[in-house]
Amino acid sequence: MSSAAIPAGTKWWSGGKSPFNLSYGKMMMWYFLMSDAFTFGAFLIAYGTTRFSANYWPDPNHVFDSAPFIHGGAPLVFVSIMTFILIVSSVTMVLAVHEGHNMNRKGVEKYMLWTILGGLAFLGCQAWEWTHLLTGDNPVLVNGEIVEMATTVKVNPWGEVVPGMMHNGHQVTTPGPVAFGGFFFGITGFHGFHVLSGVVINIIMYIKTRLGHFDQRGHYEMIEKAGLYWHFVDLVWVFVFLCFYLI
Amino acid sequence: MSHSSPASSEISFVQHHDDGTFKKTVRKVTIILSVVTIIELLCGLAIFKLGHGSHMAVLMIKGLVTILSLAKAFYITSYFMHLGDEIRNFIMTIIVPLLLFVWFIAAFLIDGSSWRELKNTAAGSKPATEQVEKAVAPGDKK
Amino acid sequence: MSELVLNPTVAHGAHETAHHDHHEQGFVSKYIFSMDHKTISKQFLITGIVWAIIGGLFSVFFRLQLGYPESTFPWLEDILGRWAEGGRIKQEFYYALVTMHGTVLVFFVLTAGLSGTFSNLLIPLQIGARDMASPMLNMLSYWFFFGASIVMISSLFIQTGPFSGGWTAYPPLSAVGDMSPGSKLGVDLWITAMALFVVSSLLGSLNYIATILNMRTKGMSMTRLPLTIWAFFFTAVLGVLSFPVLFSGFILLLFDRNLGTSFYLSEIYVQSTQTALPNEGGSAILYQHLFWFLGHPEVYIILLPAMGMASEIMSTNARKPIFGYMAMVGSMFAIAILAFLVWAHHMFVTGLNPFLGAFFVLLTLLIAVPSAIKVFNWLTTIWRGNIRFTPAMLFALGFVSLFISGGLTGIFLGNSALDIHLHDTYFVIAHFHIVMGVASFFGMFAGVYHWFPKMFGRFMNNTLGYIHFWGTLICAYVIFWPMHYEGLAGMPRRYYDYSQWQSFKQFGELNELITIAAIISFLLQLVFVFNFFYSIFKGRKMLVQNPWESNTLEWTTPINAGHGNWPGEIPEVHRWAYDYGKDGVDFIPQTEPVGKDESTHH
Repeated sequence: MSSAAIPAGTKWWSGGKSPFNLSYGKMMMWYFLMSDAFTFGAFLIAYGTTRFSANYWPDPNHVFDSAPFIHGGAPLVFVSIMTFILIVSSVTMVLAVHEGHNMNRKGVEKYMLWTILGGLAFLGCQAWEWTHLLTGDNPVLVNGEIVEMATTVKVNPWGEVVPGMMHNGHQVTTPGPVAFGGFFFGITGFHGFHVLSGVVINIIMYIKTRLGHFDQRGHYEMIEKAGLYWHFVDLVWVFVFLCFYLI
Repeated sequence: MSHSSPASSEISFVQHHDDGTFKKTVRKVTIILSVVTIIELLCGLAIFKLGHGSHMAVLMIKGLVTILSLAKAFYITSYFMHLGDEIRNFIMTIIVPLLLFVWFIAAFLIDGSSWRELKNTAAGSKPATEQVEKAVAPGDKK
Repeated sequence: MSELVLNPTVAHGAHETAHHDHHEQGFVSKYIFSMDHKTISKQFLITGIVWAIIGGLFSVFFRLQLGYPESTFPWLEDILGRWAEGGRIKQEFYYALVTMHGTVLVFFVLTAGLSGTFSNLLIPLQIGARDMASPMLNMLSYWFFFGASIVMISSLFIQTGPFSGGWTAYPPLSAVGDMSPGSKLGVDLWITAMALFVVSSLLGSLNYIATILNMRTKGMSMTRLPLTIWAFFFTAVLGVLSFPVLFSGFILLLFDRNLGTSFYLSEIYVQSTQTALPNEGGSAILYQHLFWFLGHPEVYIILLPAMGMASEIMSTNARKPIFGYMAMVGSMFAIAILAFLVWAHHMFVTGLNPFLGAFFVLLTLLIAVPSAIKVFNWLTTIWRGNIRFTPAMLFALGFVSLFISGGLTGIFLGNSALDIHLHDTYFVIAHFHIVMGVASFFGMFAGVYHWFPKMFGRFMNNTLGYIHFWGTLICAYVIFWPMHYEGLAGMPRRYYDYSQWQSFKQFGELNELITIAAIISFLLQLVFVFNFFYSIFKGRKMLVQNPWESNTLEWTTPINAGHGNWPGEIPEVHRWAYDYGKDGVDFIPQTEPVGKDESTHH
């Protein structure tokens, strides 16, 4: 982690070498992630724009207030577990990359396995949360009648509270903005797809490590590139977490 | 402990990573990320308690949470992705294009809230009858 | 790329390189799934030419409708079947033709065909690299483009016809299948093709950026790069940062179409089925924002390569150094940045907040500054030069002419107050066709004529080239100049038949003239296509390595260079690319070391 190793007076831009001391592969991975950041950015900004154009928007603390074995009344609990899982899997990925620098195959294998496990755990949590939202019934007042409604891409039960009206112990609401479900499932789904592809990449890297491919090459740069991708997935989650659950 | 060789011929030198300081940094960053996340959760709960209105306190907490998230993003990219260890010019090639997000976000959101105002004021979403009533109302008084 | 071993058996003549040599060993890996950047560039170019013929032919079809709204052409029915029953193009198909014309020419020809061809050909050759940073991804870039082409072509042959909602694909026409026949399966295929195209563009652009940064030969500092490479570099950066936003927009559009989400739809009543859609809360304007966040940079993705190639060709053929090299680079950089900040000037008539619009007006008008810098630099480059009027040079000069006349009308349209009146008229058609369509085509033609010898080891026919140039230039102005007038006189765009309108009947003869010019122009392009394919096999052979007496590195490679470009060591670079007429010497290649008593650098 020492920048002191840079030889003084190196003419970085004169050709014949990388001006950033980076292999083309790592550079392409960085710029790909940059591009992907604009994909996610566009999604989140579209979400924000729609939210700004609406007079009413559901409170995430009401929508996401459950966890396995806890039915309601526990806002942010489950999503914080998901966030921690992803942070921890990022940490194990850093350690795997570091072991790669040290050419320690066993170490890489161990931490890659932990990372894969973290990714799968996160996906499992997301599957639970989606199921919970898609199957949960909430009483909604539509045209003077109470209808049981789940959160889907087409309908949204999280509208304004109808004062004083209860149904089976649940507060009755009006229908909420339809776009909410679309954005939630669309963006978390797209992020989940990234996690899934990250897990697949990590599994391939794990197999290649087991087979000794990187030892033969003399470097573990592929692990570094997979690591960049994995951290990016974590990075995106920071903003998905922010935009959907916190504000 | 052997160090890896350069991955390709364009690389001028291989960075050496000292084991001791590395472990320390990772531990430090992990703790920072966890603590910041906990603070964010507390902020989220504070918003929950205050209600989701748009009064000043809630807006300020939301601003704080946003800044904290940016701090988390900084720690992840700088330490986990090792961007901080790269050459300054490379860091700039990542940071400078991200500045486009400033105008990207600002313009979109400004236009978004402008749609809301249009909807609420003009003939947009209000039922026609309501407008008729308003238009008729002053005449009735005469 | 030390692992790249030169294979002498690959270094055969390019007269075989073209294609159709089925007895050749390793045909598939050499011509089809090739990883040689030169072959990939030819693949992009030839696919682009095929697309250009298709896209151009579509414009001839709909120009026939516009020029002769009362007449019938029975042969149209022979070609188009029920889309032109009785020899007259149906309304729905008219819009499908316009949509496909736009999509094909903007994306498949002027993005993939232009940037794909010349970035691939020139980046490794002009920076002194054996190939792209990743030949594998480069190959995939072409094949994703090919896949996109197949999907797009297939949409022409389905029952409900291709997408017909305009190349910008605004919802609700693109989002609600019941809106029109062209809003059904055609849109899904269109979006799929475009998604594949985005992947292709991304793979290509990442490769171009990494190659330009990392693979330059010794001595080739960034400020010694030919302007072509700078142009391709900024083009790639624009692509990497803007295409993903379009991609997001398309994904949301797909969801709206197929999953019933409400991103772009709100409170819509469909006439044809007499139903009110349940969608609520979305906004079609949101799509427009996302689309134009790509759409505007896309204009420069198309234009910048043409600018770069015109600069290089004009300097070479004027035998003078390019005027204001750093100003050229700086202005391209400024254009690249501004390209991201001005997208909403396409949306002044959507009810855009006027206060916000004012900022977009200001930023848009700022683009005039770097554009003017470039124009004046081109003019001062040819000022008192010993101009060699090769077809390539003529097309480069034509490019400047078109860029000026098309650019000036951009100043009209950049002002929201004027744009609101001109936006839905032919004035806009005239503006963007001249500045983005024809001008970029001229840059592309200049590039093809200039680098054809490098690609195929033969020259294109000059006489046909001159006919092509003068004919096309005259036709371009005859087609688009009157459209400015029509637009200012209030003739709206996107109409199927103007003879139905008392106010626009008077333009009937002018429309006829435009149609005749369009047909002649299309035939002239076929002359080019003939010249191109004929010359690949029968053109005059290239006998010297450096026929244009140019300074850049691509002319130091053998006439029919194999994979790896230079048989021996990659040459080292000692100077910039524009030492023409320096110290009384006609030209000094970049590989020439700086002499002792040579005057100091520019």
